[in-house]
Amino acid sequence: MSDASGGATAATRVVPAGGHAEPAEALRRGWRRVRRRPVSVLGGAIVLLFVATALGAPWIARTDPAATDWSQIRKPPSSAHPFGTDDLGRDAFTRVVWGSRVSMQAGVLSILLAIAVGVPLGLVAGYYGGALDQVIMRLTDAWLAFPFLILAIGLVTIMGPSLTNATIAIGLGATPTYIRLTRGLVLATAAEDYVQGARALGAGDARLMARHILPNIFSTLLVQATVSIPIAIIAEAVLSFLGLGVQPPTPSWGTMLNAAQQFLDSAPWMAWWPGVAIFVLTLSFNLAGDGLRDLLDPKDY
Amino acid sequence: MVEFLIRRVAISIVTLMVISMVVFTGVRMIPGDPARVMAGTDADAAGLEEIRAKYGLNDPIPVQYARWAALALQGDLGRSIRTRDPVTATVAKKLPITVELACLAVLIALAIAIPAGVLAAVRRNTAWDVLASGASLCGVSVPNFWLGIMLILFFSVRLGWLPASGFVPFWESPLANVQRMIMPAFVLGTALAAVLMRQTRNSMIGVLSADYIRTAYSKGLASRAVIFRHAIRNSLIPVVTILGLQAGALMSGAVVTEQIFVVPGFGRLIVEAVFTRDYPLVQGVVLITASSYVLINLLVDVSYSLLDPRIRVGGRR
Repeated sequence: MSDASGGATAATRVVPAGGHAEPAEALRRGWRRVRRRPVSVLGGAIVLLFVATALGAPWIARTDPAATDWSQIRKPPSSAHPFGTDDLGRDAFTRVVWGSRVSMQAGVLSILLAIAVGVPLGLVAGYYGGALDQVIMRLTDAWLAFPFLILAIGLVTIMGPSLTNATIAIGLGATPTYIRLTRGLVLATAAEDYVQGARALGAGDARLMARHILPNIFSTLLVQATVSIPIAIIAEAVLSFLGLGVQPPTPSWGTMLNAAQQFLDSAPWMAWWPGVAIFVLTLSFNLAGDGLRDLLDPKDY
Repeated sequence: MVEFLIRRVAISIVTLMVISMVVFTGVRMIPGDPARVMAGTDADAAGLEEIRAKYGLNDPIPVQYARWAALALQGDLGRSIRTRDPVTATVAKKLPITVELACLAVLIALAIAIPAGVLAAVRRNTAWDVLASGASLCGVSVPNFWLGIMLILFFSVRLGWLPASGFVPFWESPLANVQRMIMPAFVLGTALAAVLMRQTRNSMIGVLSADYIRTAYSKGLASRAVIFRHAIRNSLIPVVTILGLQAGALMSGAVVTEQIFVVPGFGRLIVEAVFTRDYPLVQGVVLITASSYVLINLLVDVSYSLLDPRIRVGGRR
């Protein structure tokens, strides 16, 4: 859905490479637009909070996330354990904090991988067209025909379950979106006068792609990344939930929910916090992404 | 028109061939020895060799692929290594359950998305619009497996209204069937409802500003008549396309949902096949999933070209 609208507006939005607006003026205008969307700012702030949590996990949660305590099995939330404890007597708060590392890593790195693979392929397909385009796009069609999760499940099965492999699988699952998006954007941008002008001045293919096309499609790709990252975060949780991602005892929100499912009647709090964490993080990403789209692409609204 | 159809069908065939090769080689790369799985842990080397020879596991990969593809075209996807049942029969047994689940999910999604989307568009920039957009954003953001767990926690564990899991065929007891399917269908439907609602709202806003709507108003029609007779019908066309494109997401969602609610459908079959390294079953299931996605989108494209002449003349790309 966002692909289509992104592709359609990109053609009308490209700014000539030479004509810079006054930077201070642009900043002021940007700030005005940001202020109109306080919810997006809140979303962005919460995302940053999660990033800080992931980076500072050892300082925020001072206990060992894998430390078991047999006298504290499945205790409801208390002052000593604000989120309660799990079936092995581990502190749920500590594990949620450490779990943010896994989610952030899987969410961000997988999409970086998708961009690293997908953008060059889409760039080449859109720029050169012809037989190369046909081959790349037929492969992309086939690639897209595998539902995201089923492709990821298949890849993890081939490579074995681990966080790294889950990240790679999610990244490869998201790649065709970037191939298609980039190709569409390149087709729209390459027809622009300034690209034709640069070509007439003797710029080579590599220079045209790197200096004239890529910078102009960058913001749309960035907006797409804010849409993809929350999807990737959920995908990692799902794979770990199914036992195909992070392996115990490493704390991950998905594995925590998997364990919680067996104790729904005796320890429901085990199911609350990992899910709330995923929900709040993905919601914040989506809110921040909406704001970013507004900021970079005002014609959408 | 004919040219468009031929080109579109040719593309689909190429896509299906690529898919089948990828699936075949991919499954061959899974670690673990299928002969070992079939023979059990106490088989000796001679027994393993016998099984390999019997199932042609010693032949070169291209030969195995050709043999498999020829049979697949005749509707024979081999037999499950574990249960020895034909793959197509197993799938045929499981698929109706998932189709029922998916249909219920689509119904729930449409029942939520269309009224909410239309209301948000008609009352644009009011509290209703904000409420609908907020709900849609939450629907996209909530991980469906967690939503499922929360529903079980609330309706089954806390209130005891609905059974937490299991499956009863519809013809055995329609009530028991719906009682067990309603929660998984709702979980599967939420994400879809969120996407469809956004699409309905956007296309409804587009339609409401069209000339023929202004004409309808200016000839004195009541706004109720304009909205219901003219606007809604036209704004639903793009919604149908999105529904087609969401078929894959629905499949992925079914895998997780069936796992949580222990629904013995197609999605659970995939996970089961993967965990037991049942090569032919994984192969067949993934192939069928990907092929149906290609076919659904072929149908969407073709029906579109019938509805909208611009697509078949200019080409979509």
